Amino acid sequence: MPLAVDMRHIRKFFPSSSVLACDDVDFAVEQGEVHALVGENGAGKTTLMNILYGLVAPDAGQIFVHEKLSHIAHPNDAIKQGIGMVHQHFKLVPSFTIAQNILLGIEPNQAGFIDNNDEADIVRRLSESFGLPVNPNARVADISVGMQQRVEILKTLQRNAQILILDEPTAVLTPQEVRELYVVIRKLAADGRTVILITHKLLEVKEVADRVSIMRRGRMVATHSVADVSVRDMANLMVGREVILRVDKSPATPGDVVLKADNLLVAGAGGIPAVFGVSLEVRAGEILGIAGVSGNGQTELVEAITGLRPVEGGTINLLGQNITHASVRKRREIGMAHVPEDRMVVGLNLKTNLDENVVVTHYQDEPYSKRGILRLPPIRKLAQQIVDAFQVKSARVGEEIKTLSGGNLQKVVLGRELYGKPRLLVVNQPTRGLDVGSIEFVHKTLIEERDSGAAILLVSVELDEILSLSDRIAVMFGGRIMDVLDAEAANEQDIGVLMAGGSLETEPAAAEKV
Amino acid sequence: MIEFLNTHSRQVRIGLIIAGVLIILLLLISLPMTLLQSSIRLATPYVLGSLAALLASRAGVLNLAIEGKMLLGAFVAVVTVYQPGVLPGQGRDPILGVLVAALFGGGLGLIFAVLYLRIRINLVILALAVNLFVANATVFFMRVQFGAFGTLADPSIRSLSTLQLPIIHSVPFVGPLLSGYQILVYLSWVMVVLVWVLLFRTQFGRHIRAVGENREAAESVGINVTRVQIFALTLSGMLAGMAGAFLSLGVLSQFVENMVSGRGWTSITISLFAFEQPVGAFFTALFFGLAEALSFYLQSRPEVNLPPDLLLALPQIATITALVLVALRIRTAELMKRRTFAQQFGHELDKLRRGVLAGGQD
Amino acid sequence: MVKRLRQTLKSLSIPVLAVILGLIVSSFFVLMAGTDPVQTYQRMFCEGFGSKGCQTFGDLLIVQVGTDDGGVSSVFAPFYGAGGHRMAVVLERATLLILTALSATVAFKAGLFSIGMDGQFVLGAITVAFLGYWLPSQVYMLAGVSDPGAAPQALLSVMHVLIPLVCIGLAMAVGAVYSWIAGYLKVKLNVNELISTIILNAIAVQIVNYLVRYPLRSDFNSTARTQRIDDTAWLIPFNRGLFQDVEWFSGARLGIGIIIAILAAVLIWFFLWRSTAGYEQRMAGGSRRFARFGGIPSERAALRAMLLSGALSGLAGALAILGIERRVIDGYATSGFGFDGVLVAILARESIPGIILVAMFFAGLQQGATNLQFGDLPRQLGGIIIAFIILFSSMENFFRDLITRIQTRLRPRRTPYPTEAGAP
Repeated sequence: MPLAVDMRHIRKFFPSSSVLACDDVDFAVEQGEVHALVGENGAGKTTLMNILYGLVAPDAGQIFVHEKLSHIAHPNDAIKQGIGMVHQHFKLVPSFTIAQNILLGIEPNQAGFIDNNDEADIVRRLSESFGLPVNPNARVADISVGMQQRVEILKTLQRNAQILILDEPTAVLTPQEVRELYVVIRKLAADGRTVILITHKLLEVKEVADRVSIMRRGRMVATHSVADVSVRDMANLMVGREVILRVDKSPATPGDVVLKADNLLVAGAGGIPAVFGVSLEVRAGEILGIAGVSGNGQTELVEAITGLRPVEGGTINLLGQNITHASVRKRREIGMAHVPEDRMVVGLNLKTNLDENVVVTHYQDEPYSKRGILRLPPIRKLAQQIVDAFQVKSARVGEEIKTLSGGNLQKVVLGRELYGKPRLLVVNQPTRGLDVGSIEFVHKTLIEERDSGAAILLVSVELDEILSLSDRIAVMFGGRIMDVLDAEAANEQDIGVLMAGGSLETEPAAAEKV
Repeated sequence: MIEFLNTHSRQVRIGLIIAGVLIILLLLISLPMTLLQSSIRLATPYVLGSLAALLASRAGVLNLAIEGKMLLGAFVAVVTVYQPGVLPGQGRDPILGVLVAALFGGGLGLIFAVLYLRIRINLVILALAVNLFVANATVFFMRVQFGAFGTLADPSIRSLSTLQLPIIHSVPFVGPLLSGYQILVYLSWVMVVLVWVLLFRTQFGRHIRAVGENREAAESVGINVTRVQIFALTLSGMLAGMAGAFLSLGVLSQFVENMVSGRGWTSITISLFAFEQPVGAFFTALFFGLAEALSFYLQSRPEVNLPPDLLLALPQIATITALVLVALRIRTAELMKRRTFAQQFGHELDKLRRGVLAGGQD
Repeated sequence: MVKRLRQTLKSLSIPVLAVILGLIVSSFFVLMAGTDPVQTYQRMFCEGFGSKGCQTFGDLLIVQVGTDDGGVSSVFAPFYGAGGHRMAVVLERATLLILTALSATVAFKAGLFSIGMDGQFVLGAITVAFLGYWLPSQVYMLAGVSDPGAAPQALLSVMHVLIPLVCIGLAMAVGAVYSWIAGYLKVKLNVNELISTIILNAIAVQIVNYLVRYPLRSDFNSTARTQRIDDTAWLIPFNRGLFQDVEWFSGARLGIGIIIAILAAVLIWFFLWRSTAGYEQRMAGGSRRFARFGGIPSERAALRAMLLSGALSGLAGALAILGIERRVIDGYATSGFGFDGVLVAILARESIPGIILVAMFFAGLQQGATNLQFGDLPRQLGGIIIAFIILFSSMENFFRDLITRIQTRLRPRRTPYPTEAGAP
C-alpha cells in the first residue's frame, strides 16, 4: 500500500517546559488503514500529530504526505494536503448552528454575504452522503457530546480530508456512542480514507485499528500490525516495563462509616444532572473505588462531596455531621482531605512558592500563625517535612514550584493533604500523567493511609488502578451508581458491563436505553 | 442561563419589546420636542462608541482604549477643519474632518491591536497608557502647534451642517423628531444597520463572532485569528474616531481639553448592557442620550431647584444601576435555573426511588 | 548573595530600559516643538530633582557652589539645600502617590483591578476639608471659646492631636466604604470592578464639584473653594514647624505625611506577606480555584482588600488637605492623584519598595515637566513620557523574547536530555 503519511526524524523541544516531546521520531501510515498511535499521557503523541496538522512547528524532520515532501506550517497547509484533525477538546462555537460550525472558514458566500439556507443544504447533503445524520440548524450548545464529535468529523470531511486524525475520540463518549464511532471509523477506512487514532486505551486499539505505533517518552518504540501484538505486549512497550497490576495489600478492616452520601443530586453543565441519585458509604480503613468512563459524573460527585460544587438535592454526612452545604473550610476542619483532579490549577498555586502551597490547609492553626500573623520558621519546617517524607525531588523549600515535574507536584499535594491525618481522603485521578515510579509511590501511600485507618474515596478512569487499590468498587454511569462490587469478587468484564450502562443480572444491551 | 433563555426567550423578548415600546411612546408624548431632539443628538457619540465597543468585544477584545480613540478623533477632526485666516465659516468641509477622524481612530486602533496582539502587552495597561498618551498629546499639540490653551476654536471651524430628510421632514411630529440632524447622526443610524449586517450576514462577521466566542475553533479551521482581531479593532477605532468627531464638530465647533470626559468608558458599558447587540446598543445609547439631555435641560431651568453637578452624575448613576440590574438579572436567572433544576430532577428522583422501593423497574 | 544581587539587577534592567526608551521616544515630541531634547531633559530633571542652581545632569550629583570668600566649591547636590531643594517637593508629591499606589496594589494583589483610587481620594479630601473647619468650630462652641486665638493652650494642644486623627479616620472610612461598593458588586454580582470603579470615580467627581460649589463654598471668590481648615486640624509642614531652620525643606509643604506614607508602606508589606489575611488575599487573587479548594474565604478576602484599598486612598486624600492644600478648590477633584497612583502601582509591578522609588521618580518627572512650562513646552510632556514608559515597561516579555531569540541564534544548539515527557 502507498503511504499516506510519512514523518521522518521529527524532533520537537519545548524550551518553556524543557520537554523533548519528540526525539527523532519516524512515523508512517499506509493509505486506507486505521492506524492507532498509542502511548501514555505525555508520551508525545499529541505533539507529533499537532506537528502533522501544522499547529506545532518541528525543530527538525521531514513530512511526506501521499509520498510528496510537504511543508506544513499552518493548519491551512494541512487542510490543503487533505489532513483533518478532530481534537480531544472540540473546537466548536457554541452559539453557532451545526451547519455554521461545519462550514466555518469555508462559508459559501456571494461577495462576502452568507445565505443560511445554502449552508443548511450543503450540510444536509454532506451528512447524507456519509450516513452521519445531523440537524444542520441545531445549535451546538444544545447537542450531545457524541453529536458534537460527529460535527467535528463532518467538518473535516467537508474539507475533503483524506487523512483524519482523531485525538482521544472516545474519552468523552458513552459506550453506545463509542460503538457508533467505531462503525464510522471503519466506514471511513473502507472508503479509502486514512484514520490516525491517538489513544491510550489498548482495548480500543484491538477493536478498531489495523496497525499500531507505540510512543514512549518522546520516542517511537515500535510499529506493529494489531493482529500480531497482544494488549499486554502493547502495555509493556508503552510503559517500558511490566505494569504492576496488583499492589501488595492486606485485606481491609473497615471500621465506622466516615462518609455517607444519600440520594445526591448535582447539576452539570447545561442544566443536566451530572449526579443523579447517588448514595454511597465509605468506612474507616477502606478504599471505595469509583470506576467509570470519564464524564459520567465522577468529577461533579467529587466536587459536591468536597464542597466545590453546590448540591441540589440529597445529603452528605461526614462523621455524623451534615456537611451538605458546609464550606470547604468546615469540611476540612471535620477531617476531610482532597487530592483534586487538576493539581496544576486547583491543587496548587503555581505562581507562588512551596511554603505557601503547603500551608494553605493549615495557615490558620498554630504554630503556622498566631493572632493573624504568619510564622515563617514553622511553615518552612512543614514544607521541609513534606519534601523529606514524600521524597519530593529537586524541590528546595521556599522556591517557586512551577519548575517541579508532575510527579513531584502530586507528591506535594499528597503530602499536604495527608499531613493533618485526615479521617476522609477524597482522591480524584491521583496518577494521571505521572511516570511509573510516581504512580507506585502514590499507590503505596494510599494503601498506607488506609491501613492507618483513613477512609478513602478513590475516583479514577484507570480500571487497573481501581482494581488494584479498592476494597469495594462502585461503578458510575450516566451520573448514577450502577452497582457496588466487592473488589475480591470483581473482574474487568463485570465492571466493563456496568461501565457501559449494563447491569449484571441482564445483558448489557437491555440497559442501553438508560 | 442558556437553558432559561431558550425556554423563555420568546416571552422574554416580546415582553422586553412591548415594555420598551410603551416607555418610548410615553416619553415621546410627555417630553418636549427640543429635549427629544437633543437626546438624539447627544446619543450619537454613544451610538458610534458603543458600536465600536461591541465590535471589539465580539472579536474577543475588550476595547478599553475607546476613550483615547474618541479623544483623538475629536482633536484631529478640528485640526483638519481648522484654517486660520479664511473667512468665518469658510474653513474646510467638516465632513472631511469626520473622515480624517475615522482614519486616525482606525490608525490608533490598528496600533493598539498590533501592540496588544503581536507584542502582547497587557490589555488594561496598554489601554491606560494609550488613553494617557492621547489625553496629553492632544493638549501638547494644541499648545505647540496652535498656541491654544484649553480650547481650540477658530471662526473658520464650521460644525456639521444639518440635513432635512426629504419626505419625512414634512410629516407632523415625526418630521421634527427624525429630521433636521447633522449628517453624522444619520450616518450613526446607518452604522447600526451596517454593523448588524456585518456581524450576522457576512462571512467576515461570522469569523469575528467565532474568534470572539471560541478562538481555538476559529484557529483550527485556518481563520487567522490575529488578523480578524486586528481588523475588528481597526474598524472599532474608526467608529470611535467618528464618535469623537461628532463631539467636536457635531454641535460645537471646537476642541476642548479632555472633551470626551468618560463617554468612551460609558460606551463600553452600553455595549455590555445591550449584550453586544447593535440594535440593542442603539436604543441603550438613546436612553443615555436622554439622561444627558435631561440634565442639561434641567440645568437651563433654574426654577427646577436641582443642582446641575449632581444631574451630570445622572448618566453615570444610570450606568451603574444598569450594570447592577444586568448582573442581578444574570444572578436571578442562575438562581431560577438552580431552583427549577432541583425541583424538576428532585421530583423525578423521588418518583424513581418510590418505583424502586415498590419493586418496579425504571 | 551574589545571586540575589544579580536577580535584583536583572529585575531593574527592564524598568531602566523602559525609562531610557521612553525618554528617547518622547524626544520626538520635544523636537517637534523646536527644542533640543538633551537640554530639555536636563532642565526637566534639574527642575524635578535638582538643588538650586542645577543646570546639567551632572549637577544632580555634584553642584558648584559659591563660597563666602568668593571661591567655588563642589558640594554633593542632594544635600545642598540652599534656597530649598526640589527633592523636598518631590517627596511632598510622592506622599500622595505612595499611598494611592499602595491602595491600588492592595486591590491588585487580591486579583481585583480596581482603579477607583481617584474617587476615594477626592471623597477623602472633601471629607477632611469639611471636618477640618467644622469640627474645631464645634469644639470651640462647646468649650465656650469665642475667639480661637484666645483659646487655652491646653485645649489647643489636645485638639491638635485629636482633630487630625478624627479627620483622617473618617476620611479613611469614607474611602473604604466607597471602595467597598465596587468590591461588593464584584463579589456578589460579578460586576466588573474595572468598569464600576471608573463610573464611581466619575460620580465622586460630580459629588465633590457639587459640594465645593454649593454647600461647602466658603466665600465669593471667583473660583469656588471650601473654608480653610482650622490651625488645629493642620498638619504643619516641616518648613514651618519641625525643620523650620533647615533650608532644604524651605520650598515644600512636605510634612509628617511622608512619614505616614512610608509607615503605611511598611505596614502594607507586612500585611501582604506576613499576615494570614494578606496570605488569603494573595492566594485568592493569584489562583481563584486554588483558594477555593484550600477553603480560603475568597469573598471575605476580596472585600477586606477593597476596604483597605479604599482606606489608603482616603488617607491620601486626607493628608493632601490636612498637610498640603488646607482646602479644596474647585477643580481639585479632577487633578487625578488617584489615577497617577494606579500608574505608579503598575510601573512598580506591585512591589512595595518599588512603589516608593517609582512614586518619587513620577513626582519628579511631573514636577520637572510642570516647571518647564515657562519654556515652550507644555507640562503634558510629562504625561507623554510616562505613557511611553508604561508602554515600554509592559513590553517586558517582548524584550525577553527578543533577547533569548538573539541568544539562541548566537549559541550552538545543545540536545537536552528528555525529561519527563509531556507537551505543554
